[in-house]
Amino acid sequence: MTRHTSETDLALYASGDLPVWRKLATAWHVRGCEECHGLVETFRLDREGLHQAADRLPEDILPVDWDQLSAEMTANIHVGLAAGECVTPRAPKVEALAWWRPAAAAAGILVLVAGAWWLNVPRSDTETIAHALQSLFTGQRSTIAQTAPQEDRGPMVGASSAGIELVENGGRMKIEQSGLQPVMYSVSTQGSASTRWVDEDTAQVTITAVYVQ
Amino acid sequence: MAAVLVCSAYGQSLNHKIDLPKDSPVGLLSADFGNSNVIARGGANQIEVNASLSLRNSSQKRIRSMTLMVYAQDGAAGGKGSVAVPTLDAAPGESFSIGIKTLLVRPLASGTPAVEVKLDGVLFDDLSFYGPDTLHSQRTMTVWELEAQRDRKYFKNLLETAGAEALGKEMLASLARQGDRSRMGVQMVRGRATNVEADKEFQFASLDIPESPIELSNGLARVAGNEARAPRFDIRNRSNRTVQHLEIGWLVKGQQGREFQAASVPGDVKLAPNQSGQMTQDATLRFDRPLAIESMSAFVASVEFADGTQWVPSRSAINQPRLRQVVEPSPEEQHLSQIYNKKGLQALIAELKKF
Repeated sequence: MTRHTSETDLALYASGDLPVWRKLATAWHVRGCEECHGLVETFRLDREGLHQAADRLPEDILPVDWDQLSAEMTANIHVGLAAGECVTPRAPKVEALAWWRPAAAAAGILVLVAGAWWLNVPRSDTETIAHALQSLFTGQRSTIAQTAPQEDRGPMVGASSAGIELVENGGRMKIEQSGLQPVMYSVSTQGSASTRWVDEDTAQVTITAVYVQ
Repeated sequence: MAAVLVCSAYGQSLNHKIDLPKDSPVGLLSADFGNSNVIARGGANQIEVNASLSLRNSSQKRIRSMTLMVYAQDGAAGGKGSVAVPTLDAAPGESFSIGIKTLLVRPLASGTPAVEVKLDGVLFDDLSFYGPDTLHSQRTMTVWELEAQRDRKYFKNLLETAGAEALGKEMLASLARQGDRSRMGVQMVRGRATNVEADKEFQFASLDIPESPIELSNGLARVAGNEARAPRFDIRNRSNRTVQHLEIGWLVKGQQGREFQAASVPGDVKLAPNQSGQMTQDATLRFDRPLAIESMSAFVASVEFADGTQWVPSRSAINQPRLRQVVEPSPEEQHLSQIYNKKGLQALIAELKKF
C-alpha cells in the first residue's frame, strides 16, 4: 500500500520551500505517484496564476514587496507567541539530573542535625522520642510509662546490667564501671538502686547506689 | 555551625571537694580526679567523675566497710550517689584506695561545676559505727558485716570438718549459682504508675524462714503489663523483742520459668512482741522487657530490732533449695569465691585464716 505525501508537503515542494532531505524524499515519491504528481502540478499552476494576477494590478497600487511582507508577518508571529507565553501558565522546566542538588543539600542538613542532636540531646530523651514515634507509626498502644518523659512521673531509679540510674527534678545521676559487668543489681521500693561489682584481681567488692532525695 | 557543635562538645574542668571530718577514722593521702570532665550538652552539664582516692585507716580498729556519698554542688535539687566497699578489712594504719566512676547530668548553672565526696559511714569489726549516716549506711553495712561473719564462719567450719576439697566444691557451686542467676533490668517509681492497662491482684507466696523474727502472710501486689505495684504484706512479730525495721526480698517468676530477685521492700515498722501489722509500699516496679509474671514470692531478708541489733537469715536457712537459687550471695561470699576463682584454694584458705 502506497503512502501519499501530505498536501502541505506537496505545496511546499511545489514552491521549493521544503528542506533538502524532505525535498528529495518528496521528489522520489512524486516521480512514481501520479496522484501526487498531479497535485504538485496543480499547486504550481495556482502559484503561477497568482503571480500573473499580481502583475496585472492597477498602476496606482504600489508594487508589493513580498520579502518585506514576509518579514513583517514573521515578526508579528513572534510577538504573538511571546505575548501568549506571558499569559499562559508555564510548565515546570525539567532539567536532566536536576535532583542531585536538593538531595545533596538535604543530606548536608541531615548530617548537621544528626551531629547537633548527638552532641546536645541526652540518649534517654532520644529513646523516649523513638518509643513515641514507634508506637505512633505501628499503631500499637504503648503504656504512658514508656512514652512520657521521665520527669513527668516523678523520681525514678533503675538498675540494669549497664549500671544504675536516678532521674529526679530534671537531673540524672548514673553510676557505671567501665569495662566491668555488675555481679548483682537491685532496686528498693523506698527509692534507691544499687549494683555490685567485683574487681577480678583484688576480689574487692564495690557497691554503688543512687538515692531519691 | 560545625564550629558551634565542636565548641558545645568541648570538655571543661571539674571542681571537686572531699569532705572528711577532722575526727574521721580515715585520712586522705591523695586524690586523683585526672580523668574527670564536664561536657555541656543542650541545657545540661554532663559531669563525668573518674576519681581514685587513696585513704588510710587512722583509727585503732579494723575497718570492715566504708561508704562515701557523691553529689553535685550546683544548688539544684537532685539525687545522691554512694560508693561503698563492704569487703575492705583495713587494719589500723593500713592504706587502701577507692575508685569512683559516676556520671551526673545536671541543669546548666553559673560557675564551674563541682562535685563533693563526703564520708557517710565507717563500720568497724566490732560493729561500732562512725559517720553522719545520711544514707542509712549503718544499717546496710551492719547487714553486710553480719552476713560476712556468717559466711566466713560457714566456710571455715566446712574447711575444718570436711577438708579443703569440700571447700573447693562449695566454692565451685557458689560460682555456678552466681553465673546461672537470672537477672532483669528494673525501674522503680514512687507512687502510682501511669500504665493505662487494667491491673489484677497477684498474691505472693511467702517463703517462710522458721527462725525469722517476722512472719509474712497475705502478700499482694497489683500487676499490669510489665509493671507490678503497691506491694503489701501482713506481718507478725514472733520474737520477744520490738522490731523497728525490716526488709523483704521480692522474687518474680516469669512464664519462661526463670525466677529472680526483682527488688527489696524495706520498711520502718514498730511491732512489739507478738504484735501484727501491715506493711505497704506506694511504689511501682517496672521491668525493662515484657514479662508475663507467673508467680511472685517474698521472704524476710533482714530485721532490725529497737535496740539497733539486726537479724539476718542463717546459712542453713538460705541453703534451702528454694532460697538457694534466688537469694543473692553476700558481698563476702562473692569476695571469697573470686579469690578462689582467681588465686586458687590455698589463697582462699589463707584469706579465711585472717579473721
